[in-house]
Amino acid sequence: METFWETFKRHGVNRRDFFKFATTITGLMGLSPSMIPEVVRALETKPRVPVIWIHGLECTCCSESFIRSATPLASDVVLSMISLEYDDTLSAAAGEDLERHRKEIIKKYWGNYILAVEGNPPLGEDGMYCIVNGEPFLKHLKESAEGAKAVIAWGSCASWGCVQAAKPNPTTAVPIHKVITGKPIIKVPGCPPIAEVMTGVIMHLVLFDSIPPLDSQGRPKQFYGNRIHDTCYRRAFFNAGQFVERFDDEGAKKGWCLYKVGCRGPTTYNSCGNIRWYNGLSYPIQAGHGCIGCSEDNFWDNGPFYHRLTTIPVPSVEANADKVGMAVAAAAAAGAVVHGVISKLRSKPNRGGE
Amino acid sequence: MARVVVDPVTRIEGHLRIELIVDEKSGKVVDAVSSGTMWRGIELILRGRDPRDAWAFAQRICGVCTSIHAHASVRAVEDALEIKIPKNANYIRNIMYGTLQVHDHVVHFYHLHALDWVSPIEALKADPVQTAVLQNQLLEKYGAVAELMPDPIGRRAYPRKFPKATPGYFRAFQEKIKKVVESGQLGIFAAHWWDHPDYKLLPPEVHLMAVAHYLNMLDVQREIFIPQVVFGGKNPHPHYIVGGMSCSISLNDMNAPVNTERLAVVEDAIYTQAEAVNLFYLVDLLAIGHIYVQKGQTYGGGLAKRRVIGYGEFPDEPYGGIKNGDYHRQVIYHCNGVVEDFAEGVERAKFYPLAGKDFADPEVIQEYVAHSWYKYPDEKKGLHPWDGITEPNYTGPKEGTKTHWKYLDEKGKYSWIKSPRWRGKPCEVGPLARYIVVYTGVKQGHIKPSWMDEMIVKQIDFVSKVLDLPPHVWLPTTVGRTAARGLEAQVGVAANLYFMKKLYDNIKAGDTSVANTEKWDPSTWPREAKGIGLTDAPRGALGHWVVIKDGKIANYQCVVPTTWNGGARDPMGGQGAFEECMKDTPLQVVNKPLEVLRGIHSFDPCLACSTHLYDAEGREIVEIRVQGSQPVCF
Repeated sequence: METFWETFKRHGVNRRDFFKFATTITGLMGLSPSMIPEVVRALETKPRVPVIWIHGLECTCCSESFIRSATPLASDVVLSMISLEYDDTLSAAAGEDLERHRKEIIKKYWGNYILAVEGNPPLGEDGMYCIVNGEPFLKHLKESAEGAKAVIAWGSCASWGCVQAAKPNPTTAVPIHKVITGKPIIKVPGCPPIAEVMTGVIMHLVLFDSIPPLDSQGRPKQFYGNRIHDTCYRRAFFNAGQFVERFDDEGAKKGWCLYKVGCRGPTTYNSCGNIRWYNGLSYPIQAGHGCIGCSEDNFWDNGPFYHRLTTIPVPSVEANADKVGMAVAAAAAAGAVVHGVISKLRSKPNRGGE
Repeated sequence: MARVVVDPVTRIEGHLRIELIVDEKSGKVVDAVSSGTMWRGIELILRGRDPRDAWAFAQRICGVCTSIHAHASVRAVEDALEIKIPKNANYIRNIMYGTLQVHDHVVHFYHLHALDWVSPIEALKADPVQTAVLQNQLLEKYGAVAELMPDPIGRRAYPRKFPKATPGYFRAFQEKIKKVVESGQLGIFAAHWWDHPDYKLLPPEVHLMAVAHYLNMLDVQREIFIPQVVFGGKNPHPHYIVGGMSCSISLNDMNAPVNTERLAVVEDAIYTQAEAVNLFYLVDLLAIGHIYVQKGQTYGGGLAKRRVIGYGEFPDEPYGGIKNGDYHRQVIYHCNGVVEDFAEGVERAKFYPLAGKDFADPEVIQEYVAHSWYKYPDEKKGLHPWDGITEPNYTGPKEGTKTHWKYLDEKGKYSWIKSPRWRGKPCEVGPLARYIVVYTGVKQGHIKPSWMDEMIVKQIDFVSKVLDLPPHVWLPTTVGRTAARGLEAQVGVAANLYFMKKLYDNIKAGDTSVANTEKWDPSTWPREAKGIGLTDAPRGALGHWVVIKDGKIANYQCVVPTTWNGGARDPMGGQGAFEECMKDTPLQVVNKPLEVLRGIHSFDPCLACSTHLYDAEGREIVEIRVQGSQPVCF
């Protein structure tokens, strides 16, 4: 198999552009410029990694998000960085031919391929709420995981269970870590995850031949290390006590903080505030809607979306994802109450319009 | 008679299985079974929730046709609570919907469907210089199709996405394909039936042109969805709210979600949509479709020849309810109706209008479960969605074990998809269905055509002239279903330009409102309310029916396009569009049913499939597993 540099060379990419690419990628992964030589070395020596991408109970939003990646472009990932050997959504082949190909790839690259899982297995009805080739998806999943070097849990379905696992979970859908054991699992939650987070995880695996550093819940720290609240462009309004009280009010037009109309940015770990969506074009809060916390465990059952959080972490407390975790729910409500009062006081003069 | 299995069918959303009976003498499929093989229970999960949250749950039904279930859901809740949304919200929702039409159709044609028509192997044989010549000839030959699209904004100076009909452009893509093949890591092209004789129908240059556009469009498609990202904050799964949209407009506040700069981003993306559709998609489609039809490939019409249904879309201005009929007074895409027997000619086809109260009538739209893995008190009868029941009842296959199937039981239950029916009869939904309804409605004088209806009639007449065939011959076929989808993408672009102009004009007139929050508080709601949320999603007619009691969802039922098309048989013996479309398909190679795959893909199914073949009595004679030889050129 050829290396990335060889692939690039074949496509007429010169050394200068190759270095530019390496520099961009290094930045994208949140690494310091001192890592550039290491990234270049990795690109020069690594072949395309075989990937098997399977689908359980899901809605395919993760695949759709993935092909929206701009840096790197999904076409570059699929054709030049990895070798996507099995994918329900993109594979040309169908039926038994494709199933046989999957088995051949597992055998040929035993211990060296990556398994990407979108969606999750239901355990109810012996797994027959999700069937592939006349057998439960659960069997398909276990079979594909056995020889994998690492497993990527794409999205909130694979990572936490997501919508089909919301109460009353009619199919007994479970996250993949409940049924796959003895394998490193990288959780990339989000409904869907941000495209560049997805391709960023793949780039890390390919370039450094290692699992990206993960937090205590199995998420790559470089993408899930901060709350959306920490990097939100509306954070200054939170701190100043300036809140949207109702959708499309004066505060909404001014782009004030959405906390009081139900924003879950204060308890959600994801890159929406810094990387944003569509290569930095926007994110839900920028379009005036609160964060619904789609990358958090059990977010569908954390109360109605438009009710303000009753407890949020006190602003400006230094903490990381490892330490906060469950402590978030128990954090002091004092800050929120104070801000609510300030907001009320300030909202009066502003109602007259400016 | 022979019985064949293909499982899974890829390049669709979700999981679906198909079984066929083939007469080996004629090579024709005489019967077929289609089975949805996943169930997630979202309708049950929605019960007891806050109706204002429903859109987010319902949206997760599909991430490919993303946003449309959110759209149907907010409409259902607004219908129940009698909320009229502001003008800007209506225009923005229409632009988000039109954007979805364009993206979904483009990605379907190139990334989910193209490899049924064109092959990277054949593309390797092409001369890049001749391909460039051909590309220019095709632009010349079919280029007038671009003129069918009205542009009320008219600001784009010149096309920017397509100065590419050069030998260098095609050589680069050919080189890319060659290297992938040589590397031995075939990735997404591995294990397909590339030696099927249909891949010889087109000249190598058409293969190279289409495969280059397949790869090119993988990068361009992301730009098509930009309007949803600006107005909804992300994609897939942008944000909606009951009562309008959250993206407040201000030309006065620098942190406003929507201002002049954001509108310019949207406008630019709409012009990218126009170029992708007019200069790539429609030209490729006409070139490939024309050759296939000339070679006599006019199978796959199935149910479309007999009965189609649509619900109507693009309300010109905000409406005051769906069940009271106001929605249908406002729509400008008049595909709300049923047409029977279109294959007998547009003059002889029967047209039945469908509006407002019809959707609340317990006799008009019902779902059956006689052959689906669900339980009803009386399974001979259908249930209207407001009274719908979703109670799983898995019964296993006809042959094999519960968790290891051999063959499904088409005489018993065999699918996780219910069977929706219009007055007890099966109907096809989708772009083809909508085109048949509008064309028949206009030609027979049942509807007063809007500019959009007129555009559709012009498109159909244009293609009929290109193909030199009347619409009732070419439209209800696999090629026609694929063509209607491409033509509708152009309607989507035209709608986006039209509603963008309306949005500009309304803001200019001083109205910046995007949400009506008068009834945001549940204490303002009636104790009990029922609503209907209609739309015509990219894949076909979509309805959400909600029952609200004491501020919570008491019942929620979605009848989705693939339920119409891919549903199981009904107790009266009626079959859905997937099964009917396969039935008239001739197979050249029984164990490589590419024609069936192409026919099923022409619906853009929202699940995953597989195929078996049996005889007409369900008696198995020969078992043929669908397994191609090793790809010849790899």
